[in-house]
Amino acid sequence: MRVLLIARKNLFSERTRLAISVGGIALSVFLITFLLSLFRGWNEKVGGFVENVDADIWIAREGTTDFLAAGSFLPVEGVDERLSRIDEVERWSPLIVRPMTASKDGTKMDVQLVGYDPVSAIGGPVRIEEGKGVPGPGEVIVDEGLSRRYGVDIGDSIGAGGRDWRVVGKSSGGDFVASQTIFITFDQAEEALQMEGLATFLLLQVTRPSRAGLVAGMIGNADPAIVTMTGDEFAASTRDRALGDVIPILTVILILAFIVGLAVAGLTIYTATVEKAREYGILKAVGFTNGYLYRVVFEQSLVTGLLGFLLGAGLTVVLGPFTQQLVPQFVILVRWQDVLGMAGFTLLMTLLAAYVPTRRLAAIDPVAVFKG
Amino acid sequence: MPDRRVILRMHAVTKVYGAGDAAVTALDNVDFQAQAGEVVVIMGPSGAGKTTVLTIAGALLRPTAGRIEVAGVDTTGLAEKELPAVRRGSVGFIFQSFNLLESLTALENVRLVISGDTATARSATNRARELLSMLGLAHRLKSLPKQLSGGEKQRVAIARALANNPDLILADEPTANLDSKRGREVMHLLRQIAIELDKAVVIVSHDHRIREVAHRVVWLEDGRFRSDVVTARDTVCGQVVEVEAAPMTSFNGQAFYFCAEQCLKLFEANPHRYAGTPG
Repeated sequence: MRVLLIARKNLFSERTRLAISVGGIALSVFLITFLLSLFRGWNEKVGGFVENVDADIWIAREGTTDFLAAGSFLPVEGVDERLSRIDEVERWSPLIVRPMTASKDGTKMDVQLVGYDPVSAIGGPVRIEEGKGVPGPGEVIVDEGLSRRYGVDIGDSIGAGGRDWRVVGKSSGGDFVASQTIFITFDQAEEALQMEGLATFLLLQVTRPSRAGLVAGMIGNADPAIVTMTGDEFAASTRDRALGDVIPILTVILILAFIVGLAVAGLTIYTATVEKAREYGILKAVGFTNGYLYRVVFEQSLVTGLLGFLLGAGLTVVLGPFTQQLVPQFVILVRWQDVLGMAGFTLLMTLLAAYVPTRRLAAIDPVAVFKG
Repeated sequence: MPDRRVILRMHAVTKVYGAGDAAVTALDNVDFQAQAGEVVVIMGPSGAGKTTVLTIAGALLRPTAGRIEVAGVDTTGLAEKELPAVRRGSVGFIFQSFNLLESLTALENVRLVISGDTATARSATNRARELLSMLGLAHRLKSLPKQLSGGEKQRVAIARALANNPDLILADEPTANLDSKRGREVMHLLRQIAIELDKAVVIVSHDHRIREVAHRVVWLEDGRFRSDVVTARDTVCGQVVEVEAAPMTSFNGQAFYFCAEQCLKLFEANPHRYAGTPG
């Protein structure tokens, strides 16, 4: 559909006003899209590791809710025997997880120390990016997020759990944004963390993953001292733990950004309409209908919204990766669904912004144009 | 003038503004008509109801009572939403202050009224160009209103009024913002349009010069047309005044009439200047 001549001329004859209006919407779109992409990025990172662990069921001590604050201690002894009675359990593996502060040359680093069984590899590094695939005695594999953030490299020595560990490999998929995973073998973890015969989690693989929920419920019901969750449930719970408090704050900021965009667009479009009230009166006098005039204002608003959206969304796409390079915690994940949703929000913003001016148009008396 | 078709017919039209004690009768049971090819000038003092006649004739304002026909259509019987089409198709407006859209060029100002959403852009552009050329503005097609002189602006406004080939042209003080030369040009242009394009042109004006081009002059006062009025020109401000009611003085044996005491005082302070006699 072609934009009406008068709408186009009104818009582009006042370039400063157009720039303010487009800028306001662009800022709003940028802020919303950027924050949403940041949230998506964090969400992906925080739940990503648990989702990628090849376990259908996670077992932990009762009261444990998530991977990050795991204060769980489960005896490993006798587990084999108990699980062997359940046909649907194919195999299991113990995992030790301990949130702690590691150090490198005096620099403190928040990490999740993970001790995994290198034979089953369940709960180990998601992908090896560089160096050894399995750590040996006194060796550690670090997530590349830690490497990026603190400059930890293969051959470096880091202190964790009262010992020094030599970095022999880098993995990916274990970045929780606020902390990163480092991997040692289960035996080493037992010894270093004085957890002989104990595990934080027991990870189970079942014969039919579609029945993981049922099996988890069965195991959990049999022992009130433990809690069982499917991999998806545990990932969701971990995400909730990490981001649950952020969501209300984020929601408020998103609403404020929407209001700012709406206010700027609304005020500029309203001012433009009021300033041109006489011209709209002339158009009414010479035979243009209210419907035509509404269309003129809506089209001005829509074009402003479109330009603002393109600028704002473009800024997010361009600045996102750049920001991530500057600040590693800014993990940006721009999803096309979010961009599409933002286009819808911008449309809503522009329609609302044009609504009040159109009410004003309806009240313009064309007879007034006869007064000099 | 031979019998021509009647374009505007106002029958027993009354317009009352407000209600109760505050009610003001702007038009009181008025009959009026204008034919194709005719220039009718409506004169009268300020507040006589001249502009009300124009806005009612132009379907911008509804009468309190009476019936109006424009180009054979009874506009008083139409719904509110049907009136814009009458204004756009059958009536052309010319305003005192030109009322061009400032962000559009001369060509666009005229084209906009033609095209709206229906006519093709090309045919609308051709028609607008043709009209502006006919009015001597072929070299000003791309000029914005702020780049045009007063006379040029009014000619663009006349082109806009003619854009949809309406039968009725309504002009409100079309020469008021023009100097005498440009004013005279516009007056003759309006007469030419009435005769050559067979339009009914109704002009509301205080300007006595416009009588030169009128086929008929009617006097409106206190909401009624009067046929027995003797008029004279106020030599100070140029307004046409009703002799019977106007302040008057004599100078060199000649009577002079004024629109108000203010003009009379100015005359008396310097009679030679205004009487056109050597002082």
